[in-house]
Formats: sequence, C-alpha cells, structure tokens
Amino acid sequence: MNIDLFGIDMNVWADAFIRVNIIVLMMTVVVMGLIYLERKVIARFQMRLGPTRTGPLGLLQSVADALKLVAKEDVRPRNADPWVFELAPYFVFVPIFLMFVAIPFAVDWEVRILDLGLFYVLAVSSVNIVGWVMAGWASDNRYAMLGALRSAAQSISYELPLVLSLIAVAMVANSLNLTEIVAGQGRIPNIILQPLPFVIFYIAMLAELNRTPFDMPVGESEMVGGPYVEYSGIRWSFFFLAEYASLFIMALLASAVFLGGWAWPLGEDWGRGWQFVLTAVKAGAIIFSVFWVRSTFPRLRIDQLMTFSWKALLPLAFVQIMVNGAILVYEPEKEVAQTLLGVTSAFGVFFLAWIINRSVTRPRPRPVVAARGEAVS
Amino acid sequence: MKGLLKSMGVTLSAFARKPVTRQYPEMHRALPERDRAFPILLWDHEIDEPFCTGCHACERACPVECMTVLMKDNPNHKSQGGESSRRKIIDKFWIDYGRCMRCNICVEVCNFDAIAMNNTWQGHEQSVYDRSDLVQELPQLLAEHRSGELKPWVAP
Repeated sequence: MNIDLFGIDMNVWADAFIRVNIIVLMMTVVVMGLIYLERKVIARFQMRLGPTRTGPLGLLQSVADALKLVAKEDVRPRNADPWVFELAPYFVFVPIFLMFVAIPFAVDWEVRILDLGLFYVLAVSSVNIVGWVMAGWASDNRYAMLGALRSAAQSISYELPLVLSLIAVAMVANSLNLTEIVAGQGRIPNIILQPLPFVIFYIAMLAELNRTPFDMPVGESEMVGGPYVEYSGIRWSFFFLAEYASLFIMALLASAVFLGGWAWPLGEDWGRGWQFVLTAVKAGAIIFSVFWVRSTFPRLRIDQLMTFSWKALLPLAFVQIMVNGAILVYEPEKEVAQTLLGVTSAFGVFFLAWIINRSVTRPRPRPVVAARGEAVS
Repeated sequence: MKGLLKSMGVTLSAFARKPVTRQYPEMHRALPERDRAFPILLWDHEIDEPFCTGCHACERACPVECMTVLMKDNPNHKSQGGESSRRKIIDKFWIDYGRCMRCNICVEVCNFDAIAMNNTWQGHEQSVYDRSDLVQELPQLLAEHRSGELKPWVAP
C-alpha cells in the first residue's frame, strides 16, 4: 500500500520510518537549541551572559554537553532493580515523542491527521508518569522515591485541569481534530473566546512539565534532583531530553489550540513558510514566558500546589465547561454565542486572579502542632 | 496578585538591562592608580643599570623572609673606568612571590628607591603550574620597569 509523503508516492512502512526519523532528529536538535536558549535567557534575566566560550556565542555548548553525557559511564546502583531502572528513561521519553504525531505545524504538515488528535495527545502525555514512578522506585533511594511520588501526585492532579480546559476549547471548536481546531481559528483565536481555559492550561502545563514554580519533584535544593538522583550519562540525558521535548510540545499544543497555530492572523493563503514562522513564533513566545516565570517565582509548597489544583483550577474548569455547554446549546446565534463565551470566560479569569490574590495576600494561618499532636494556641 | 505581576515586571526589566559580566581574561578593568601587586626592582635608565646596591635592607625588613640578596663590586664604577657612582651593585636577587604578602615594607625601607610595588595587570596575573616558578630572579624583577611598562607612582 502506498501513501503520499510530501508529494512523493511512498510505501506505508517506509513513509512511517522516514517521518519517525524526521521527528527524532528534529527533536534532538530542538532540545539542544532549547537548552542553549534557556541558559541564555535565564542568564539575561540574572544580568549574566550565559554560555559564551564554546563556539560562536556559545552556540556549541549544548553539543559539547551532549557529547559529554554520551561519553559518561552509565552507572547503576547495586541495589537498583536492573530492568525497571534501565527501562524507566524510555517510559518517560517515548510518550513525549508519540505526542508529536498529531501536532500540526502548517497546512498538511503533521505526521498524521488524527480525528481524535487532542484526545490522543492527552492520553499519551499522561503515560510518562509511569516512567517517573519507575525511576523513583527502581533507584532504591529515598530522595528518588519521594520525588517520584510527588511527581505522580502533581502530574495526576494537574492532568485534570489540563484536560478539562482543553475539553472546554474542544467544545467551542466543535472538534477533537487538532488540524480542524487550528483551521477553525482563522478569524478569532481561541484565547479570545476562552481566556480562562488558556490560563488554566498554562498553569497546569507548568505543573505537568515540573517547571518552576511547580518543580517540587525535581527541586534541586530539597530533593537533590528527584527521581533521577541515581541516573547518569545517557540515561540521565534521556530524562533531560524528555523534559525539554515536552516543554516544546506543550508550547506547540498551546499555540495550536489557543493561539491559532498557523491559521491566525495570516490565514491559509500566505504559504507554508509563513505558517511555520507563525507556529514557531507563537510556541517561542510561550517558551519564553515559561523561562520568564521560572526566573521570577520561587517554589511553592506541596500543600499549596495541591490546594490550588483541586480547589481553584479544577472547579473553575468544570464551571467553564458547564457555561460553555449552556451557551452553545441555548444560543443559536453564532456571533452572540462567541461574545457570551468570551465575556464569561474573561470574567472567570478575573475570578481566578481574585482567588490567587486572596491566597497570596491573606494566607490562611496554619495551626501550630505540638509534639503530641495538640494544637497550640 | 499585584505583587506577582510586579515581580514579573522586575525580572523583565532585569532582562532588558545590559549584563554586568566582564569577560575577564580578554577585558581588563582599569586598575586603581595606587594599586599594589608584587615588589619589583627599578632600573636606572640614565646609567643603564639597576638602582639596587644589594644593601640587604629590604631582606632584613621583610616579615615573611621572601627575599634573598647577593651583592658584588660594580664593574661599571668610576674607579674601574665606568660612569656609575655606585661602588657596589646587585649581583643576584630572588623574591618568592609565593611567600610575599605585599606589605610594602621593602619599598619603605629602601635607601635608594630601588624597589617598588608593581602597579600593572601583569603584576597580578602570576599564575604558574609549579610553586617553584613563583620565585623570581633578577632579570624578571627588572624587566617590567626596564621596558617602561610601569606606571608612575602616585602619592596618597
């Protein structure tokens, strides 16, 4: 059976092989670029220069780091569970790459157009929690175990607001196919219609990626690196690769679902080059904001993290879904429905800001507990 | 919430500012005019010989005993048909920069103004691979002032 690969008639299996290779090669390069960019950007936020010595402007720094990691010894602790320990990096790493299958970069430029693309991406993205827990469990190390459990708790908690916010958008876009969602945003990007889901998605994305201020699972100062304490060399670099690859893919997903991907504001007539530029600029802006947040905010406590997810983000996401449903079912006029959606969602953003403001300015006093477990006044 | 946004603004303004890093080995900041590195010997450009007569004053005054001085009869003295009025002159001079604590006492006790503290960047950049390489000999000690790299001394 033959299939069309960028205009060339190709055997299905050869086609799949080529596409997978393109993804893997592109990802490795993108991740190295992202690591370089992060170091440069964070350096500028701290008024430093960042890497400058390796190659022009330090551009080869990531290559040097990668070479160093590949050349390092792959150490396995004696008490570690050999199979689980050595397989864990793949369980973290493979799901991230699987997510790329459905992401649209430009018109007809995705690995596969999946009718349930959004569903597929979300389903695959939650698999890598298994890898984290495997790594933590198999390392036979308390810090790794604690980090893995925190990672699991956090990822599962924030998975729900993430999924629900995307469901709210899918209701508005009336599709789960990522390509259709993007194509439907030619005039108005979804962030205008659904600002609240975008904010929820952004916060949940930070938590899913274990980025500051939600980086307790890997907190260097308290967990000495979390689940990958015991990893070194190529296996450790797999974790790192997965971290940055997932950052990239989450930024692409956000730019496709909320910011209009390649479709907004130029539409389909400007040609593929500009569509790639649009997608890259939008994803780049989100990645930059992630670096910005990282260089600004300190780490939260684990109870604050959980409270925020279960008591603030999740109810708001549910409310948004119900409001969306009501508006879409009972308001037949498309223009009016869109205005209503935008207004109610913007109101939700203000409500969320109020909740954050309240928790920041008036933190609830926690009772001081004495050694015997009685509250001290 | 206002605080959160304000902190974002603070970091963004830091991002827009110029980095404070100086690329040290390539870029040197100007040294203070009375900067004090290690002691070196001065060169009498008029008669073309060192000022130092090897009188041992600095050697005796040195609190960390980092100096070793040997004196000889000056072959360039007037009695020998030369033009110098120095009867004795320095023969060999070692300063162990590894021991020197840059206290300036040798400069203060010198009767001939023959020793001074190096006030150039070369005086600070003395890293070597072996401690014994920190012991400077007479030609090395004289080279800086003889080539005219030393900046004029400034009164406090």
